[in-house]
Amino acid sequence: MSNEINITINGRELKAREQQTILGVARSNDIYIPTLCFLKGLSGVGACRLCLVEIEGVPRLLPACVTKVTEGMVVTTESPKLKEYRRMILELLLAERNHVCAFCVVSGNCELQDLAQQLGVTYVRYPYRFPKYKVDATHDRFLYDPNRCVLCTRCMRACEEVEGARTWNVRGRGIRSFMITDLNQDWGDSPTCTTCGKCVEACPTGALAVKGRATGEMKRKKNVLSQLSSMRDRGR
Amino acid sequence: MIIRDLDTLNDIRQTRLNRLLRSRPRIGVGMGTCGVGNGAQTVYDALAEALVEKGLDADLEPVGCFGFCAVEPLVNVYLPGRPLVILAEVTPEDVPHIVDEIADGRVPTTKALCRIEEWDHLTGEVRFGRGLSEIPLWNEIPFFQGQQKIVLRNCGLINPERLDDYIAVGGYFPLYQALHKPGGDQIIEEINKANLRGRGGAGYPTGVKWNLMRKAKADTKYMICNADEGDPGAYMNRNEIESDPHMLLEGMLIGAYATESNKGIVYLRAEYPLAVQRLEKAVQDAREAGLLGERILGTSFSFDVELVEGAGAFVCGEETSMIASLEGRAGRPRPRPPFPAQSGLWGYPTNINNVETWCNVPVIVSRGGAWFAGVGTPNSTGTKVFSLVGKVKNTGLVEMPLGAPLKNIVYGIGGGSPAAKRIKAVQTGGPSGGCIPAKHFDTSVDYESLGALGAIMGSGGMVVMDEDNCMVDVARYFLEFTHSESCGKCIPCRVGLDEAVRILRKICDGEADMADVDKLEELAPMIRDASLCGLGQTAPNPVLTTLRYFREEYEEHIRARRCYAGVCEKLYLSPCENSCPLNMRIPAFLELLKEDRLEDAAEMVWLDNPLPASTGRICQHPCESQCRRGDEDAPVNMREVHRYIADTVFDGPLMERVRARLLEDRFEATGKRVAVIGAGPSGLSAAFYLAMLGHEVIVYEERDEPGGMLRYCLPEYRLPKDVLRAEIDVLESLGIRFEYGQTLGAGLSLDSLEQDCDTVFLATGTWNETRAGCTGEDAPDVWHAITFLEQVALGAPPSVGERVVVVGGGNAAVDSARTAVRLGAKSVTIVYRRERSDMPAIAEEVYDAEAEGVEVRFFLSPQRVVTDNDGHVKGIELRKTVPGEFDASGRRTPVSTDEILKLPCDLVIMAVGEKPDPDPLRRAGIHVRDNYTAKVDWMTYKTNRPRVHAGGDLVTGASNVSATMATGKAAARAIDRILMGEDRLDRVLKVFTYENRVPLEPEGGDRQVARHRAPDDRKNNFEEVMLGYGAEAAILESRRCLRCDVKEQCAVKGGTS
Repeated sequence: MSNEINITINGRELKAREQQTILGVARSNDIYIPTLCFLKGLSGVGACRLCLVEIEGVPRLLPACVTKVTEGMVVTTESPKLKEYRRMILELLLAERNHVCAFCVVSGNCELQDLAQQLGVTYVRYPYRFPKYKVDATHDRFLYDPNRCVLCTRCMRACEEVEGARTWNVRGRGIRSFMITDLNQDWGDSPTCTTCGKCVEACPTGALAVKGRATGEMKRKKNVLSQLSSMRDRGR
Repeated sequence: MIIRDLDTLNDIRQTRLNRLLRSRPRIGVGMGTCGVGNGAQTVYDALAEALVEKGLDADLEPVGCFGFCAVEPLVNVYLPGRPLVILAEVTPEDVPHIVDEIADGRVPTTKALCRIEEWDHLTGEVRFGRGLSEIPLWNEIPFFQGQQKIVLRNCGLINPERLDDYIAVGGYFPLYQALHKPGGDQIIEEINKANLRGRGGAGYPTGVKWNLMRKAKADTKYMICNADEGDPGAYMNRNEIESDPHMLLEGMLIGAYATESNKGIVYLRAEYPLAVQRLEKAVQDAREAGLLGERILGTSFSFDVELVEGAGAFVCGEETSMIASLEGRAGRPRPRPPFPAQSGLWGYPTNINNVETWCNVPVIVSRGGAWFAGVGTPNSTGTKVFSLVGKVKNTGLVEMPLGAPLKNIVYGIGGGSPAAKRIKAVQTGGPSGGCIPAKHFDTSVDYESLGALGAIMGSGGMVVMDEDNCMVDVARYFLEFTHSESCGKCIPCRVGLDEAVRILRKICDGEADMADVDKLEELAPMIRDASLCGLGQTAPNPVLTTLRYFREEYEEHIRARRCYAGVCEKLYLSPCENSCPLNMRIPAFLELLKEDRLEDAAEMVWLDNPLPASTGRICQHPCESQCRRGDEDAPVNMREVHRYIADTVFDGPLMERVRARLLEDRFEATGKRVAVIGAGPSGLSAAFYLAMLGHEVIVYEERDEPGGMLRYCLPEYRLPKDVLRAEIDVLESLGIRFEYGQTLGAGLSLDSLEQDCDTVFLATGTWNETRAGCTGEDAPDVWHAITFLEQVALGAPPSVGERVVVVGGGNAAVDSARTAVRLGAKSVTIVYRRERSDMPAIAEEVYDAEAEGVEVRFFLSPQRVVTDNDGHVKGIELRKTVPGEFDASGRRTPVSTDEILKLPCDLVIMAVGEKPDPDPLRRAGIHVRDNYTAKVDWMTYKTNRPRVHAGGDLVTGASNVSATMATGKAAARAIDRILMGEDRLDRVLKVFTYENRVPLEPEGGDRQVARHRAPDDRKNNFEEVMLGYGAEAAILESRRCLRCDVKEQCAVKGGTS
């Protein structure tokens, strides 16, 4: 058993284990930190920046999902600055692609929608970019709508780390970044996809969905990926 | 040959030195990418051919770059026993002469830039020879003054492709020393003592990094050199590798030994083919000599270096991205911790340093950390190489001790602006850096000071910008760069930069509002604080610093829809029009004249500029400095053309027709009444536009005649009084009422005017003289320029005696001097405390004054006016000055010496500046600034009193006629907008249709010379000197216009748009 560590989050003195992340400790103590690219069971990438927290003595904000706790660490998860930054990040994300809940299969079961509600994003101050991406409906069972993608790369990590197929990847860079299957082929033609559906389970929005669902009908099995990976860890 | 011991190393060194120094001539051609780009290869080939032809026994070798890019190709010539001479701007045509001279045993000196007698390579010294004192020593020429070459110690002097050249100047001896004497700990100790900080930009202490690395235990440890130099305008690393690749390898070897690392990688840009080639050769040579590989220099230490070419992603300069790239993955960063020293390439401990950091290491080992720490400042030790580019005369690679003031680099080494324009800012650190405004050029260049200004040292890019650079455009440019280089992993950088770029583009296109600036100000700190890696964290710096120091430019773009630098193309039609303070539609009136539509041209000129004949004579013509015809031969003389139009109208029957047209253009009466106080150019301009907009305008003037400074201070020979009078008659005929003898505070009160009028416009000018502050200034024969000129204008000129001394360098000084000549003074001398190029006076005026016999003397400042017992002036004592430090304007501050010069004279005229009289303003409750100018909102010219606006010199301080009229025009626009609730001024500016055709070839021939009186014909009278254009000349001149205002045209010859 690893050593016990004392840390403080939002003034609460907590016990933690070595190698735990700030997010892990916060979650097990019912302290809410918003996340988007994080998914239990997958590696952390610290990309969405919603889980940024303030740490005493550290000049920069650090992502709670990948930052390991250290003895005596003093963490603040809520501050006016963090609140404002998280709001801005979410607004930027909502303006980046076409997140129209009214026509979305996951409406009501969407992490992006939940975040917007939790962070109080009632309007977006940035002009919508309204990209026009082609929907990939070539796969027999699943649908990929890039217009709803937030580039969290959870599909890519689920495919690579849990299924081992490595079908998903990112093409391009910057604002032109784009999730692709294999070498930018149609998903239906993918020689690597095993049709396991883990990517669809991993997706936080309606970008990846099971075909044949109407607005609001798509529900995901919670924790299926984390259960899979923890069972696998135990099996090792 | 494999080098195993010190003897072998010494042998190689001695053999090579003997060949280099004792035996025969050696010619080195600077063949970095920069040199080759400027033709060094053809020079090299020509030299090779000529040497064979002559049968001359001389060594010809490529060397690296000596740094002075502006004068490439550089060739250095060494003749045994003589100093090494560097020749500049060598062309193949120079080659026969060079070779002939060498053949005759002489050093070729025709194109000599400088000489080097001895050179401290820091790892060893080389003595060339003495003599040739007619050529300056290298560090005597301005470009190298203050430079200290530590990193560039060998650059441009040795052949980068020869290992033995590097050994000859002491290279690889520090490595031998390191491997044989101190252990790794001691090397790190030296590095710590040297306080070496990372030269890639962040300035992290190298010793601390190495220590972490040394402590990390693993069987494989990586030493990486970051040579992924990607900042626009920066090329230090390229040059360092191209000119001296072994110093990098030696630095890495020492670092590897100190940290017990065994694998080295140089991550080098593929876009640097020559650097790749030279480094590959260096690695190969070092391997063959046993300096890389197993058991180096006979020790148990093993280390090898691999070269990896980067694919050109800027983000790969970030260490975790670089590691991803090296592992074959896409270059995207990951969060730290874990730091590379804990888990880096393939999970092994990894240390990454910039090229320049490595290059310092051999010197620190050789000279000791204490020596290195003695250079620079305590916190920023050593030197830094900067690539100095942009709007400076001398561009090139500059190595300065850290802590040198920025102004020394920009003005001293750089030599200031090549086009005599005002330098505005320096951008340091590339896209991650910031813009430092000229007012902060005193700042010492070190990590902390630059950081405090919001900029960064960065890798050393230094881009100088002048008044032709638009700071909003600069921010947009750099943000577009980081935006397109963003990897897209984290949201703040990916989407935040996209949004920021959109806003900046909107501002540049004139489509933004002030809320967009607020949005930018919210976004920038978020992107900085929340982004994952250094790219995003520093990307907002150009925006943050330009907003901090150049906010007014953002406001000009948004509120006035103007880009005064003339960069944002959507905001102006032509550069001349944009640079004209009055925004005159210059190409349009030139075209109208060309089409023989004089009446239309005159109407347009008047609408744009209500004093076209006066300004046509005395304007400072900023339009000419922007005229694109100037790049072809000479700028169009636009001022003379509108003078011609105005003069012709006055001389003939056209005046009545133009007057009738203006009356027709005038808006219907609004019933509003505006009082203008002061009938100077600013007041007249405001009155004209307000009258045209339909308001009732009453101008109150203290003196008996209108015109202000134009009437009372401009001498008759420059601006005849009847010309001015005729122009003001036109204004009067538009219904403007003038009341004379009305003084603010004495009879005229703002309170009662506010009662009677809807708005008051204050333009009382700058009629108080600045005092020179020297003894005897109050003697009766000491005049201040304005009083003197006013006295002459009133027709009661003072007696000037025989000898007159004028103190000052502005237009008032030159006007006074030329007036004194005309009043019969036998000798007139202008004394100025700075040098000629610093004079604010119009250059043509100075030239004309000298032609009339005025003597201009420089570096003299007034000390004491000498008077006799009756108080009459006998002479003036002047203190000689020498140029000192650069001041905020980029000019050298005159520093007084003890040397006194006595000039006998009968009259002294002090022309050292003017300022407003603050008392009437203060009494009227108007807020006044420290320099006595009225405090206004510069967009509306509103004072603190709600219905009182102010403009002209009263708010800007002494300026010039067109600038002061522009404030009147702008104030009229604002006053009308407030009174009428909408912006109506542009509707007064009637639009004409005319042909829009760009001449496919420049037309009109040479610039027309305006007629003028010869000096002998003019210096005894007050007749006008410049007589202007005749009809033919005016039309020819207007045909010279290239019509930059026409934006689109099909490329068919003779076609129209």
